[in-house]
Amino acid sequence: MRKIDRMVSAIDPATEPVVSQGVHDLFEEIVATGPPRRRRSWLPSLRRPVVIAVAAAASVSIAIGVGLPAGGPALEYANAAVSIKMADDYFAVTITDPAADRRRFEEAFRAVGLNVTVKVIPAAPDEVGTLFGPIVPEGFKWRGSIGVQSVTPCSSAFCGKVWMPADFPGRVVLGVGRPAEPGEPYAGDHAYDPSGEESLDGYTVHGKTVAAVRAELQRRQLKVGYRLLWILPDGGFFDETVPADRIKDDWIVNGSRDHSSDTVALYVVPGPGAGPIPDPLKVATPQWYDLTD
Amino acid sequence: MQESRVPPGARDRFEALYLAHYPAIHRYTQRRTDSADDVADVIAETFLTAWRRLDDVPDGDFTLLWLYGTARRVLANHRRGESRRTALASRLRDELATGQEAAPADPRGDTVRTAFAALPPADREVLALACWEELTGPQIAKVLGCSGTAARLRLHRARKRLARLLDTTDEVRVTAALEGESR
Repeated sequence: MRKIDRMVSAIDPATEPVVSQGVHDLFEEIVATGPPRRRRSWLPSLRRPVVIAVAAAASVSIAIGVGLPAGGPALEYANAAVSIKMADDYFAVTITDPAADRRRFEEAFRAVGLNVTVKVIPAAPDEVGTLFGPIVPEGFKWRGSIGVQSVTPCSSAFCGKVWMPADFPGRVVLGVGRPAEPGEPYAGDHAYDPSGEESLDGYTVHGKTVAAVRAELQRRQLKVGYRLLWILPDGGFFDETVPADRIKDDWIVNGSRDHSSDTVALYVVPGPGAGPIPDPLKVATPQWYDLTD
Repeated sequence: MQESRVPPGARDRFEALYLAHYPAIHRYTQRRTDSADDVADVIAETFLTAWRRLDDVPDGDFTLLWLYGTARRVLANHRRGESRRTALASRLRDELATGQEAAPADPRGDTVRTAFAALPPADREVLALACWEELTGPQIAKVLGCSGTAARLRLHRARKRLARLLDTTDEVRVTAALEGESR
């Protein structure tokens, strides 16, 4: 080893990590976020319908609350959309109607003492009913922890645990995935992975030209949306939604993602003539948790 | 209901790679950020990406390089303040915030630490990958997404710049350094 390498090795700041309970918890949390992404099938969708709207007919909400005598938060609460029950250190949440008005969900969370904003967001078929988040837009800096974990088996659209400090003063946003309308963009809570996501079954877009991928999408009768994928020198990245006339046929596609039931978003590496890297804040597209009603 | 849709074998494969590579990703992140919150966030986001894209994670020796590359991008975006802290890893965050002490710093290394900190970020990264993650030139190229030649050149230049800052000399001449880096 070189002298200079030995000197650098000697200042390694890392300590030997402990595989603690928190490490095992993280594994369970990750797996509980849902299955790995599947690619869009070339064949007509055979996805199982999600059990939803079992109680949707009771749209005139009948709320049932079991509260503390002194007027504190309820120990459990249920309406036509969701039921929430307090356990030792979490709330058991069962979503029965993912397409219900968001106020039904907020009302239930508020009844048990959780001040959260709920958005009912369009989701891909395999994410209908999923509880997205929690998103803490300003960052979670508080004692305790905050989280969502799904629970199986589940006979409703979603069963899970939600926990957060009751006195957390920041904004917490949860999303409930409802079936997206045909052509309606899916909402999500994960940034694109610039090493190349693939959403088409049996066809890899990574490394191919825009023209080649577009031809394949046309063959599959899918529409195309475009994102310029800007990679920064430090490895950071962001994407910019652009119209088709900003994209050249011979530019290279990095990856693809389902945008809606009939549209695939192509993430394209900016080629010659793409211009300078824009200010990411100026080209950022508001996410579902950014929007106010 | 969600877990029932997990493809057979996916959970086992992810668990195996998670447990095998958690320590390396933890150290990688710890070396590049001072905040326990950020360490927990970057670890969580890195493995969440691996889970969601399990079909794309390569096998064998390439798994860890793929994870390093992902962690690098997560970390870079985290620094830019674009990453939104979610609830994953809440317990891990608590544990890291309260239970982990920094490695005791050897005062003899202060000069090296100061010089290392004065290097451009790209030099620090390539030196860290070589000396802390103990990667070879071709492996560094995989993580950085560049050619093997470019990785070796970057490493060579970073060593020279650090040696200059330390007012010392590297033990290997330029040509030998370039040849030897392909170990």
